[in-house]
Amino acid sequence: MASRTLVIFVVLLLGMVAVPSATSLPTGVAGVKDSGCNCHGAVVSDSVVPILDGLPETYNYSEVYTLTIGFTGGPADPSNINQGGFNLWVSDGDITPSDASVQSWNPNEVSHTDAGNDQTTWTVDWIAPSNDRNVEFILHVNSVNGNAGSPEGGSSGDEWNRLSIQVASPTVILEQANPYTVLTTLIIVSFVLLLMVLTFIFYQNNPDSFDWENFAPWVAGWLTTTDHKRVGTLYFLAGFFFLGIGGIMAILIRIQLMEPGNDFLTQDQYNQFFTLHGTTMIFLAAMPLINGAANWMVPLQIGAPDLAFPRLNAMSFWLQPVGAMLIFTGVFTGTGADTGWTGYAPYIVSETAHSGTTMWVAGQILLVASSTLTGINFLTTIAVMRAEGMGWMHMPLFTWSILIANLMLFLSIPAFGVGLIQVYLDRVIGTAFYDAASGGDPLLWSHLFWYFGHPEVYVVIVPAFGIISEVIATSARRSVFGYRSMVYAMAGIGVVSFIVYGHHMFTSGMDPTLRFVTMLTTMLVAVPTGIKIFNWLMTMNGGSLVYRTHTLWALGFLVTFTLGGISGMFFPSMAMDLHFHESYFVVAHFHYVLVGGTVFGLFCGVYYWFPKMTGKMLDERLGVLHFLTAFITYNGVFWPMHRLGVWGMARRHHTYFISVDEVRGVDGEVITEAVIGALPPEAAGWNMFITVSAILFFFSNFLLIINVIISVVRGKDAPADPWGGWSFEWMTESPPPTPSFGRFENGEWHDLPVLRDANEHIANEPSKLAEWFSRLMVADKEEGSN
Amino acid sequence: MSGQHDDHHHPSAWGPHHWDHGAPHNSWAPLIMSVGFGIFLFMLASAFSNDVVDASHIPMVMVGLLVVLFGLIIWWRQDLSFDGTYEPMATGTPFKNIQIRKVGMWVFLMSEMMVFTSLFSTYIRYRTGIENCQTVFERGDWVEQGYTLETGEALICFEPASHLIASSWWHIAPGAINTFALIVSSFTIVQALRYASKPVGEIDEGRRRKLVTRYLASTWLLAVIFLTLKMIEWFIGFYVPEISFLGIHEHDIKSLVAEGYTINADHYHHHNWVDEETGATMLADVTVGASTFYVTTGTHGVHVFGGIVGLTYMTLKAWKGGYTPENAVSIEYFGLYWHFVDLVWVIVFPFFYLY
Repeated sequence: MASRTLVIFVVLLLGMVAVPSATSLPTGVAGVKDSGCNCHGAVVSDSVVPILDGLPETYNYSEVYTLTIGFTGGPADPSNINQGGFNLWVSDGDITPSDASVQSWNPNEVSHTDAGNDQTTWTVDWIAPSNDRNVEFILHVNSVNGNAGSPEGGSSGDEWNRLSIQVASPTVILEQANPYTVLTTLIIVSFVLLLMVLTFIFYQNNPDSFDWENFAPWVAGWLTTTDHKRVGTLYFLAGFFFLGIGGIMAILIRIQLMEPGNDFLTQDQYNQFFTLHGTTMIFLAAMPLINGAANWMVPLQIGAPDLAFPRLNAMSFWLQPVGAMLIFTGVFTGTGADTGWTGYAPYIVSETAHSGTTMWVAGQILLVASSTLTGINFLTTIAVMRAEGMGWMHMPLFTWSILIANLMLFLSIPAFGVGLIQVYLDRVIGTAFYDAASGGDPLLWSHLFWYFGHPEVYVVIVPAFGIISEVIATSARRSVFGYRSMVYAMAGIGVVSFIVYGHHMFTSGMDPTLRFVTMLTTMLVAVPTGIKIFNWLMTMNGGSLVYRTHTLWALGFLVTFTLGGISGMFFPSMAMDLHFHESYFVVAHFHYVLVGGTVFGLFCGVYYWFPKMTGKMLDERLGVLHFLTAFITYNGVFWPMHRLGVWGMARRHHTYFISVDEVRGVDGEVITEAVIGALPPEAAGWNMFITVSAILFFFSNFLLIINVIISVVRGKDAPADPWGGWSFEWMTESPPPTPSFGRFENGEWHDLPVLRDANEHIANEPSKLAEWFSRLMVADKEEGSN
Repeated sequence: MSGQHDDHHHPSAWGPHHWDHGAPHNSWAPLIMSVGFGIFLFMLASAFSNDVVDASHIPMVMVGLLVVLFGLIIWWRQDLSFDGTYEPMATGTPFKNIQIRKVGMWVFLMSEMMVFTSLFSTYIRYRTGIENCQTVFERGDWVEQGYTLETGEALICFEPASHLIASSWWHIAPGAINTFALIVSSFTIVQALRYASKPVGEIDEGRRRKLVTRYLASTWLLAVIFLTLKMIEWFIGFYVPEISFLGIHEHDIKSLVAEGYTINADHYHHHNWVDEETGATMLADVTVGASTFYVTTGTHGVHVFGGIVGLTYMTLKAWKGGYTPENAVSIEYFGLYWHFVDLVWVIVFPFFYLY
């Protein structure tokens, strides 16, 4: 058995080593420059000699060179009409045709036209790049037989050949890493590592039966599961995987931004990277992680055996990886969506947006479906499957937060879905929803998107609120202060979040009255959040705090989320928003609330519920080390961004300049006047500091991964209630059995839990609202009958 | 690992399922259906990615749909044997003793309302924000501005489909028959539920099976008539011969597409838009109006199609005698959805076809 293990691991290791040699090609693999002239049915032959004249050894910046393309040899005959064709591709600079015998596919690639088929030499102009690049020309020439009369047709019997020429830049530069190669290599390596770890865990569970007969049912069991606990684990795995991928993209973005005028990423590549970073982090990392926690804990907390619709729940999960694959198709071809995660019209429906945008939209449509199904599932479960004795005001705050988040989510996401379908149809079959030339209104997209987009960001933070409430209460060894106001605060956030979305559109030219109204409602929505912060502080004040890792994360959350909320309060003021819009101040704000809020809340939840989910305790020392390194480096990344934003550093720009930069003109001379929009010289240093902190932050989170792996394999066994919590999940074993509560016999559920002593929360009388609502509900059958 | 039958120790992930053990805890259907939807959307985009439809990708689009169907069949295989021995009931107030799946269906309909709200918002925004083509025509500036068939330049205006459809009884006939068909189908589905839930003893079981199957099949048929007439109205058109003893004149009703009312037409001209003095015909860019019309009514049509898929399964199950008073309530879940589809049509029809 051990040797089999060894063989499998050696194979995977070799795979990991071999993988970096796979390159992702910027223009995809269908171009002529990679596959040759096979489209003509021709054969490659050395008798055809390609010629490319007019190239220098070393180019001068932005100089125009006239190139002559030709060939000798092959079956071409001057007496034929069709003699030859060519395809010329260059990695940098622009090629323009000189006459009608040549056509341009894009600035980097030209080939012959139909009219240009009857000659063997062609002329083009090449404009050298204005900076230092290692330029490569790839020329394919086709010597045409011209036997149109033959049964195989006019392009049979052709022969082609290929020529590659390097042209050096004036300043010698080293080979630069192609960011797509880096990204796709890291993605594939991460995925292989994930598979290795999962296989390892399978092996550890049962070393004696490590063979295919046992492995296949184990994998099939995970692929077909509808158990909320397993689906929750799948969500956590997917969420953490994509958190890592999004982090890799962030690192690549930060490498580009570490110095002014950097060219690691071109503008086009940078646009794709920040689009994918945002999309991955919100839709493929934050939402799945929240769903993972919700799937695991909501049925346990309300004393239900599972969710209301288990198969639908599994479908919600599986739509996520499939949607992710659609969104990421663009990455592997270098033509990913470059619209920003907000996908503004009219760019998103224009020709210049990359083809991967359509796939981005399609993937998002699947994610919309997934979220809608999730919303239906959780709303129904929480409404109908609570344990006996558990009224609405007896539910734990995490369950409340999931209820409110899902209400917001599934009422707002259809608007996004409709907008996406409109964009998809605009791009695919040519409808005119956002086509300004036909009367379409791009602002409609902004409304539909932000009507969803604003509730969405509350959807990702409210569950973190719920986790923090649970953790602070348990750590302070008392119940949360002001349970009822906590519930009303979350409900208030849920309702008001639908009427503030205009604050994302302050600079769109909307009516000043609407801007004013939105300003007020946005300031209003901060009030319930503030109430919650004060309640948490009062919980700690009235309790006795135990400092476990999850406690530290909750305290860190209080600091960073409060800072993020306060920085957010600069935006409702229309006047200030006009200056801060699209600057790094926005970036700092939302990373403080998204990372410092949602991600820290989820880390907190992982440390808190890990013993319950796996039956093992996490290592406390590694946990504290993780918290300290991550918290410090995280603040190192995002705190200086406030200052950069105030200085005017623009968001979504691939580079920036500082005022003492030497800027070169077209002939290489130094232009000394300041570049408009240049930042103070300190900005460069701060950007470098941010990049270094970001790399450290990225690696600090591996401490969590290591902790998880070590603990799953050889952690201490966990009791049912390691922290002294009071909600139902702590009354089950670690990990809980399946079904989570009760047993199903003779068509009925037996032994479901009953909530008897609920005096920690509120008295047992239903509220006025519940009384009125229950009068609307008419049960079909008498109570007690089935 | 044969998953062909369900026994106590290895519940089958492929179906069929014994429901006295509770709901299925393993199923291949979710994974397979998700992959199918992914293939479908991916191939649909690549089939249309250039301006010309790339027909070579159409088979793969079909493959995607077939994979979805395959997953759906697995789902149905697990559901077909559901006999009501396990119908989960709500325990939490205020839904106590209401079926959980009924609550779930109402929650789903809430989100569907938001879908149609968004589509209606788009329609209202454009309908009120862009000038109506008839108004622009009657104002007459277009003649000297040169927006005629001869110059080839089209002006932007909103042309509601109702301009074409409400112009004569024969044009509106498909839509009117459709409205009637959907309303009747809402009735037939209720009848199916009524007969399925009649207590044992009140009705002979063979008669119950026959009637439930017939009413479900009628609902299915009416839904298919709806979609067929919609396709005729959109793409095919129809011809009415002269029947003099009934007073019916000959009419050649062209389809909307044949009239030129399409979502990416270069130009559109209505046969009535002729200037009396000069004889010029107004040329209009009506793609926004066409887009809102086809996408909104098309989305409704997709929901009808989803209903047909569900009805296929239910008719099959009824024919096998699968509906008894214990599980008749599952017809009600579909009935709720179907009434919603009917209600949306009752709102869509006047707004898009009549006004």
